[in-house]
Amino acid sequence: MLQNKFLFNQSSVTLEIVGLPDYSNNEDEDNISIISQWKLMIIDKPPIEGNIDHLKTIIRAFYCYSNSLLNNEIALFESNLIDIKPENYYSHILLLKSTKPEVKPLSIKIGNSVLADIINCFDQLGSSNKVKNIYSKEFKSLNNKKFLFLLDKKNILNFLLPPLVSICSIFLISTVFIYVYDNNDNRSLSNNKNKLISINHINKIL
Amino acid sequence: MRNSFNNNDIKVEEFEALIKLTAEMAKFLYPYIRQILQSRDDFIRIPKAWSEFKNRYIELISERFNTNSMRVKRLLDPRSNDEAFIKILLTLAFCISDDGFQKLKATLLSY
Repeated sequence: MLQNKFLFNQSSVTLEIVGLPDYSNNEDEDNISIISQWKLMIIDKPPIEGNIDHLKTIIRAFYCYSNSLLNNEIALFESNLIDIKPENYYSHILLLKSTKPEVKPLSIKIGNSVLADIINCFDQLGSSNKVKNIYSKEFKSLNNKKFLFLLDKKNILNFLLPPLVSICSIFLISTVFIYVYDNNDNRSLSNNKNKLISINHINKIL
Repeated sequence: MRNSFNNNDIKVEEFEALIKLTAEMAKFLYPYIRQILQSRDDFIRIPKAWSEFKNRYIELISERFNTNSMRVKRLLDPRSNDEAFIKILLTLAFCISDDGFQKLKATLLSY
């Protein structure tokens, strides 16, 4: 049985998908529903390949990472297959971990231009009518990992210090005001009370 | 941030139309956006595209934005604006797919 092959190109990146149509669903011969092999080829870098589960993990990793890059969160993705972390704001390091025990992790350094190409290749794959069953529900509900910024000690301090300082300063200022104004207010109140009582007395007498 | 006295609220339809226009322009301009990003990635070897983009962008900001605002001052600060400019370019580069308009909208709303 002949397998179908599709290529998704974007400048320096090519994504190759090889697989078969699902004949039980009466699909077209040209379609791919069962992916048997995929390969992500980046110019000047070793190719990345694997099975369908690896592809799903890698797509998820890149989308999560790109989202966190744009949303001012800590850009970091870690899983048992792939880690992506920034080296600086214009280069990123992919650490690909093999499932085979003897194989050492492969580290690939990519720039922002290559990252954009990879995301666009995955976008092309997602919007393609020919390749199906890639995007499951998990990609539609990518978790918003805003809590990740709390992992950094600096961020915890930045997060907790302002409210603590403001509460302390409010407390200090309010106690100072209590000492300064408390007596005066009482005096003026008692004076006013006395005046009122005397006016009442005068009224009664009159 | 804009250097304008008009404070008209933008309507939802206008906001969506602007996003659609931006996404379509990003599709058309992707080769240039990529070239600028690549120039920043390899600044020592090919600095021309990044330097030209940065100079022109700073020129436009100082022409049309309120330069007394702290946010605008931060954008114009040459020591820290690289990161902000890269983020803007990446936002455009990530929205060139068929549903790029939706992506751009989601990114802007969660900003």
